[in-house]
Amino acid sequence: MRAPNEIDFWRGFALLTIFINHVPGLYFERFTFRNVSLSDSAELFVLLAGWAMRKLIDGPARALSGSALVLRLEGRAMTVYVAQTVITEIAIALLAAASLLLDAPFLIDWHNASAVFNDPVRAHIGLVLLTHQLGYFNILPLYVVLVVGAPIIVLTHRNAARALLPFSFALYAGALAFGVNFRTWPVEGTWFFNPLAWQLIYVLGFLLGGKDGVGGFARQWRKTLRLLAIPIVLLGALVAVSGYSPDPIDLPSPKLLFMFDKTYLSPARLIHSLALAALFGGSFAAIARWTPRLSHFFSLLGRNSLNVFCAASILSLSAQILRFATGGGITTDALIVMVGFSSMGLVAWLSEWRERLPAAPGRGPPSPSGAPSP
Amino acid sequence: MPPLSAACDVPTADIAAPASLPNLAAALRERKTARILAIGSSSTAGVGASSNGKSYPSQLETILEDALKGVDFVVLNRGVPGELAQTAAERLKSEVALAAPDLVLWQLGTNDALARIAPSEFEATVLSTIRWLKDNRTDIVLVGPQYSPRFARDPNYFAIRDSLQDIAAKEKILYVRRYDAMQFIAQAHANLQLMARDNFHLNDLGYQCMAEHVAHAVIVSLFIKAPRPVGN
Repeated sequence: MRAPNEIDFWRGFALLTIFINHVPGLYFERFTFRNVSLSDSAELFVLLAGWAMRKLIDGPARALSGSALVLRLEGRAMTVYVAQTVITEIAIALLAAASLLLDAPFLIDWHNASAVFNDPVRAHIGLVLLTHQLGYFNILPLYVVLVVGAPIIVLTHRNAARALLPFSFALYAGALAFGVNFRTWPVEGTWFFNPLAWQLIYVLGFLLGGKDGVGGFARQWRKTLRLLAIPIVLLGALVAVSGYSPDPIDLPSPKLLFMFDKTYLSPARLIHSLALAALFGGSFAAIARWTPRLSHFFSLLGRNSLNVFCAASILSLSAQILRFATGGGITTDALIVMVGFSSMGLVAWLSEWRERLPAAPGRGPPSPSGAPSP
Repeated sequence: MPPLSAACDVPTADIAAPASLPNLAAALRERKTARILAIGSSSTAGVGASSNGKSYPSQLETILEDALKGVDFVVLNRGVPGELAQTAAERLKSEVALAAPDLVLWQLGTNDALARIAPSEFEATVLSTIRWLKDNRTDIVLVGPQYSPRFARDPNYFAIRDSLQDIAAKEKILYVRRYDAMQFIAQAHANLQLMARDNFHLNDLGYQCMAEHVAHAVIVSLFIKAPRPVGN
């Protein structure tokens, strides 16, 4: 297993935050950083995913040929896709079971699930095509698209490194300028996380994770960037606390450029999340010295981010159902956080324990592991 | 004024207290066309209806165009079943920026009550969104939670419903009291089935009544003496 490191640590942090943020109404939600921040853990998660992919490309996958790399990344995309479809199906079953056990038919409506029960023919096609997504189960579809597209990022980086950022930025700007987003179906609408916009922060993570180019620049000017980040982070806190949101009526077109929109990752959110990264990036060494246990725990979660994310998604939905059944309250909420965090830790520990198991004699070598996942 | 159909007939007082809709009125006066954004959860998306055309926003478009001849209404349906007010509020902002509607119909409450969102938190979300819409010269109609015998004794449900009523009174905006309207129909015509087989979602007739009630409230409000819209 990798030793605790900065990427895994913050990924673990993002996972815990996402778990809490995905139980609406939870008392402890008020302590998560989005209450004092313009951007939230979703930006952090995607930025770090891009960063981790760069670590893979520059590290274990450095010697891979282009085609081997494509195969590996598409294999990873398949894993994420399978994870998404499985947890969505579990979520649907959870809602269905809860609706029976609690005699509460309206639970099958939650988070856009109702089409599965009321329009099953079309909804099942949508589930497989990822055009039908459940609320709070809409980050992985974005991630699937990003990892499916990752070979384009990597091959562009290998063959025309300077073109990557302009290309990614143009796609982002086009999506915002013309309001282009993936459609959902059969429930008419658009994706909650627009991949055409969010790819930029993934690419930025990828670039910042490198030692040269943008990453090299950021490292060289780290102190200056950190100073620049302070007013941005403070301003973001002010915006979040005051609840301010720009008025599109007074804005020039394209209006999305000036909004604080999450779906399209408006520039204000993007800049703010980069400022957060600039301000807090590099603080891991101090945190690890100060609370080694915490850094171990967060990194454990971050190393197994896909498994932990899936567990957290199911746990947060279970928590919502529990809050419905019991009526909520601070005791229930405290229990939810304790059980949730420890279950996420258990899932991560089990994932690593399984990988550490020696292969049975005659069954071949253990599967390679320990490489950072994109 | 289009009469309510026999099945959906309820005393006007049970639907809504009129409130001015200055921006919608101005759009009708100046452009003879109006854009309406319907956001909300399953009752907006039309779960339980036999087809998309039977959802309340679709039926509303027809009723409004029949009632106000020569006016073109575009009603956009942006309902996501089971969504909470907080998520809808986030979505609403980009939808408003992109679609620039004259009126937003926001149907809400049931899911927040079921998810046990604290009424104070719910109220803060709704209030800040209403104020944001006002700043953007967009009218808003709140469409409250439905009546269902199932929730007739759920204190959470009433707390959320009452907080909508308070918000509407405080902000002087139109609030369609679906609960009261549906309860009246349930009691006056016990043989009428407004619900789908799951006894929670509306059926086509239920959506027709919902559309009629919203249309009625909007039209009555359009014809009360409206102050000039802010900023015009």
